[in-house]
Amino acid sequence: MTAVGADQRQQMAYVATQAADARLNVEVETEGMTLNIGPQHPATHGTLRLVARLDGEQVVEAEPIMGYMHRGYEKLAEVRTYPQVTTLINRIDWLGSFANEVPFILAAEKLMEVEAPPRAQWIRTALFELSRIANITLFLGDMAVQLGALTPVFMAFRDREFVLNQIEAVTGGRFHPNFDRIGGLKDDLPQGWINDTKQAMEKIRDFCDEFEELVLGNEIFEARSRGIGIVPPEVGLSYGLSGANIRASGVDWDLRRDGHEALAYDQVDWKVWTHPDGDSFARYWVRLQETREATHIVDQLLDGLPSGPIMAKVPRIIKVPAGEAYAATENPLGEMGYYIVSKGDLVPFRVKIRSASFSNISITPWLLKGVYVPDIITILASLYFILGDIDR
Amino acid sequence: MGLVASGKAPKPLTKLLNLGRKYSIWMYQWGLACCAIEMGAVIGSPRYDVMRLGVIPFPASPRQADLVVISGTVTDKMVPSILRLYQQMPDPKYVISMGSCANCGGPYWDSYSVTKGVDQIIPVDVYVPGCPPRPEALLEGIVLLQERIMNEDPAARWRGDPIVVD
Amino acid sequence: MTQLSSTDTDATTDAGAQADELREAWAARLADALGDGYVEHHIIPGGDLWVRVTRDSWTDAATAARDQLGCQFFDWLSAIDWLPSPYGRDMDAQEDNPQPKAADPMEQGHAGGQTRFQMVVRLYSITEHMGVTIKADLPKDDLSIDTLIQVYAGADWHEREAWEMFGIHFNSHPDLRHIYLPGEFEGNPLRKDFPLLARRVKPWPGIVDVELFPGEEGP
Repeated sequence: MTAVGADQRQQMAYVATQAADARLNVEVETEGMTLNIGPQHPATHGTLRLVARLDGEQVVEAEPIMGYMHRGYEKLAEVRTYPQVTTLINRIDWLGSFANEVPFILAAEKLMEVEAPPRAQWIRTALFELSRIANITLFLGDMAVQLGALTPVFMAFRDREFVLNQIEAVTGGRFHPNFDRIGGLKDDLPQGWINDTKQAMEKIRDFCDEFEELVLGNEIFEARSRGIGIVPPEVGLSYGLSGANIRASGVDWDLRRDGHEALAYDQVDWKVWTHPDGDSFARYWVRLQETREATHIVDQLLDGLPSGPIMAKVPRIIKVPAGEAYAATENPLGEMGYYIVSKGDLVPFRVKIRSASFSNISITPWLLKGVYVPDIITILASLYFILGDIDR
Repeated sequence: MGLVASGKAPKPLTKLLNLGRKYSIWMYQWGLACCAIEMGAVIGSPRYDVMRLGVIPFPASPRQADLVVISGTVTDKMVPSILRLYQQMPDPKYVISMGSCANCGGPYWDSYSVTKGVDQIIPVDVYVPGCPPRPEALLEGIVLLQERIMNEDPAARWRGDPIVVD
Repeated sequence: MTQLSSTDTDATTDAGAQADELREAWAARLADALGDGYVEHHIIPGGDLWVRVTRDSWTDAATAARDQLGCQFFDWLSAIDWLPSPYGRDMDAQEDNPQPKAADPMEQGHAGGQTRFQMVVRLYSITEHMGVTIKADLPKDDLSIDTLIQVYAGADWHEREAWEMFGIHFNSHPDLRHIYLPGEFEGNPLRKDFPLLARRVKPWPGIVDVELFPGEEGP
């Protein structure tokens, strides 16, 4: 037996490890397992069911199964008059209800060729942003709770109430305002509302600052969300991802700035936030910045609120002239649009609802391939969907 | 439980048992739609705080739950899951139907895919109206249920008689 | 109200005119790319662009929109059933609709059409901030069209939805299954001849269920 050189020893050790690895691979080779999450699971906020085929800890294939909340909006809208439809569509994205009404009303206004007076447009925009805050604050708490931090969700529920109170003070509804009318708004603002809202916005800004430290500054949160669920911009666009999900992939596109709808966003000074990373962390970060930006938009809108009527001249019984129109706005979850086909009747002939979550979540089969089981939760939470917005 | 089952339990003892059951309700959340968020506010928000009523909102599974709150729109596709949930709960079990959709179909009364009321499939003890009900309304529903439990004859439920409450 | 001054208004009309020119240009480029497959287009000034193509050039139209017009963003895909239904209320109970209006003749919307079912897809360019709505007629006896999955991955679920709601078959779609409704559901809900049975048997609750104001006498 001759002495073995250092090089050779290293080589032998390498071969031995390889062999051990190969043996281990043979020994622990597992059969595929099917993991069913939902239809009622806290991580799916509502009733999304996810069937994932696993190989060990890795997802081979994942498929969301929805329809547990399908209520048939598009059919129901065909048998309801235009004002009745607004009542219904409040309940699509139930966290930011007012934002659902606006694109529908805008599409109907396009067909009727009326435009809301400036004051109505400004108040509309302010309420739109308030419902964005009411929506996204819950996301900020909810994603943290899904990554194991329980406290943020309590704080989100606490501070969300300030905004809900303001929405309720104007519209009478905490959740479902049904306040938007074709040609304007139902009522003007109540007395003292502007000051109260500004105070509430102050609180929301504090909330954002707190979350920036508490959640984004948290090591565990960062470790679990950085680099998880990366969406390349071109893939995201071809799947129809919109809103903060696509802005977190570095696409500088926001319908509030780039859309042509009659809202007052071009009258205030604000900024579209993007993030180049495209991972779960970026999506959380963008939404947090957007919430803070929304408070600034509301403040500026309330400062410059024009006076005047809040309702344009529209007939008492609304008949929308024949035609087709599509209007879309940047809702809290992404692009929401309504394609209305009218035949000149009291009821719409066909309403196609383009809801953001449906497209946002359609990327999951692609995105969940090859990720680890705990990351499923991170990715689903960070894509942020509302079941009513998926299933309609 | 032989005494309770036979219905021969003395009244003070029944009261005592009911008092115990009343203030230790394990509540399972079956959040389906908008109402789920208001239910979340009841559970998660410090402003409403359901635990002060002696309700514990976090059972690990329906098999440990006394009460289930069906909050939101029940669709035909969801019905089998709800039936299974109800069958898994141990007796005595209670159901609160929260919101118009779970009560009767609500704004989707004419929809092709919505079940017009969860009471078509499982018995409901308390209906909470509203679309969605305010968190306070759900709290009142829970208080009503507690009153009902307090005045209940446990033996009746044991025998499977129709439940009559004084 | 100083912000809404007249100079601003002029600027917006200029932008509107430019946008309309761009719409014209888009329509012309699609017509070039598709040749015979292109049928017609419709532009609402300051509004939107509709293009109708034949069924065979459906995928070509989407590819051309993506590659030549820069419409990278897949907005949505659906269908329209143009079967006339009087006031949309032919499915109502007797009490609600005592004198049903006769059905109008079938009449298609912008960019025309000949058949009852029409496919609609909306594509959007995030650089030009402008969208295009492409339509295609489906013959009555063969409700099928090519899938767009190869062009836009996001078309998958939208096509499943259209299949379920209208019964339109998508050629070479890998996975046409129910997306919303339980597997045993029969019928295609968004077709105009699909009745909402609850409305037939029950009048509109708002008619029977009138709530009186305090102090008001009942009927």
